[in-house]
Amino acid sequence: MKRRLLAAVCAATMVFAMGTVAFADDEVKATGDEKIALITMDSIDQHWITLNEGAQKAAEEFGVTVDFMSPNTKDDAQQIECVNNAVAGGYNAIMVAANGPDAISSALQEAVDGGVKIVYVDSPANVEASATFSTDNKAAGQTAGEEMIKVLEDAGVTSGKIGIINVNAATDSCVNREEGFRAAFDGSDFELMETQYGEGDAAKSQSIAENYITQGVVGIFGCNEGSTTGAGNAIKASGNDAIVGVGFDKSDAILNLIDDGYLYATMAQNPDVMGYEGVKAAIQAINGEDLGGEVTDTGVSVLTKESK
Amino acid sequence: MNNKQQSPVKKLLAIRGMGAALTAFVGLVIIYIAFGLINSAVFSGQNILNLLRSMSKYLLIGIAQSYVLITGNIDLSIGSLVGMSAMISATLMTTGMNPLLAILISLLCCLVIGVVNGYLVGKFKLPPFIATLGTMFVARGIAYMVNGNRNTDAIATGIGKEAADKFQNFFYYGKTLGVYNTFWIAMIVFIIFFFVLSKTRTGRHIYAIGSNVDAAKLSGVDVVATTIKTYLISATCSCLVGLILCAQAGMGNMEAGNMYEMYGVAAGVIGGVSPLGGTGILLGTLAGAAVWQTLENGLNMIGAQVGIQRVVIGVIVVVAVLLDVVVRNGKFGKRK
Repeated sequence: MKRRLLAAVCAATMVFAMGTVAFADDEVKATGDEKIALITMDSIDQHWITLNEGAQKAAEEFGVTVDFMSPNTKDDAQQIECVNNAVAGGYNAIMVAANGPDAISSALQEAVDGGVKIVYVDSPANVEASATFSTDNKAAGQTAGEEMIKVLEDAGVTSGKIGIINVNAATDSCVNREEGFRAAFDGSDFELMETQYGEGDAAKSQSIAENYITQGVVGIFGCNEGSTTGAGNAIKASGNDAIVGVGFDKSDAILNLIDDGYLYATMAQNPDVMGYEGVKAAIQAINGEDLGGEVTDTGVSVLTKESK
Repeated sequence: MNNKQQSPVKKLLAIRGMGAALTAFVGLVIIYIAFGLINSAVFSGQNILNLLRSMSKYLLIGIAQSYVLITGNIDLSIGSLVGMSAMISATLMTTGMNPLLAILISLLCCLVIGVVNGYLVGKFKLPPFIATLGTMFVARGIAYMVNGNRNTDAIATGIGKEAADKFQNFFYYGKTLGVYNTFWIAMIVFIIFFFVLSKTRTGRHIYAIGSNVDAAKLSGVDVVATTIKTYLISATCSCLVGLILCAQAGMGNMEAGNMYEMYGVAAGVIGGVSPLGGTGILLGTLAGAAVWQTLENGLNMIGAQVGIQRVVIGVIVVVAVLLDVVVRNGKFGKRK
């Protein structure tokens, strides 16, 4: 009797174990020959470097090749050349963060026509792809706005000017963040000023923020890493830490500014998740699976002094 | 000059500037093979087509800058003219304007800046660095303002998908005889301006001014008119590159052509065009543009870090200029 019970328990455990393994594997099987080109907007911003790290982690895990082939600065012509190089270099799939929805579309379409699979990370273009992994920027921007309102109202401030520092009018992800941010202020007594563009450069953004501070703003929103760093530095330089700074993206500089109290919070994206999941999806697409162009929101975490 | 019994090779080398151009070509072959050995994809047919296409942009920029360099001047506004041309043509097309008309208006605007450059440098004797620095900012500012400080929408939204495809295929995506149109366009422009520089009176005047502007004036060369001509040619080539960039992206980008004037200097200098004026042939510029693009393409294909590209290219430019100075004053005696 005991032996039969033991046998039954063993059998059950085996079945259970096999079942868990099957679920955990997620059905991603790589042959090892897959060559994936990762083309982001530039090769120097921490956001893209982290995305690449996530991608390389997946590359090592699944035994495939992921080459980081981004241009050195954000430039449509250069990004198109990178796509062309990826096609000429015989890559099976391209993971791409498009500068904008239109510029590289023709080049991507040529790649698709040539049998190359496309996976979008962070920012899609107008060509149909196998899958997209990105942040829902509008929702994240709205969260940022709500956080700022919360802090201001806690401090008893219910009206005043708010400055917005964006990158440029062409980067969809940032434009959507601003849209979400402005939406959070609907019906409030705060006055949202005309957006200024700092090209994502921390120094330029700081100048803009300093001008906002001179005009007496109660809060500043930075739409990406450089804008946020500039805003935080300007608040620091002004000595007035009652101004509420909220931003986007994560970097050592931004985390330090939050620690010192010059920024209240930042919306940290998960570029490493985009990179990791993007590679997995690329492998699946290369091996013939139809992913149906699914768009996955990789989400944001609100990082404040307490929650870091 | 003793023409008797001169071998064809000697005759070729006797052409001034040919030595430098041939050196650049040899360098080009070495660099190309080196990259290909590291990554065989460099040798692939598609990569060669890509190379020919992307080199064409730098060739046109190189021609633009070479014409000005040979007279002993410089044109810093080239990059901004590229951006201005891309933005003007794209913005006009998004309003539905006929592409041909948009191209003509773009060209006209670039030529106006070219005339301004020519006058400031030729007639008012402003240092070319300062004059073209000013027009560089003005042209870039215009590029920003043309569409209200933002990049344009896709040109297809104004002129329709069919016309947009035709425009984009003509300048960038289409092929003729199996090679991208961009290459043929650049080749035609190259041949025309090669002819002008080497076989016409204007060309001889350009060299004369570069060698010794006072002697040239005393010999009856119209320095003002010739200077204006060089800046007009520069503006025309820049406009063309702007159109190519517009076709490449299918829209206008305010930052298009950023730093291109420097790439033009590099392409010319690598090919033997002296920044001091008076020497250099367009064949050298062609080699220089090819070297530049092969380096960029090769370094990208082997996955080299971005900084390395800049360092390598900078070193080559310095070496090329050093060779130029040594040859002029050193080993081979004074060349005049």
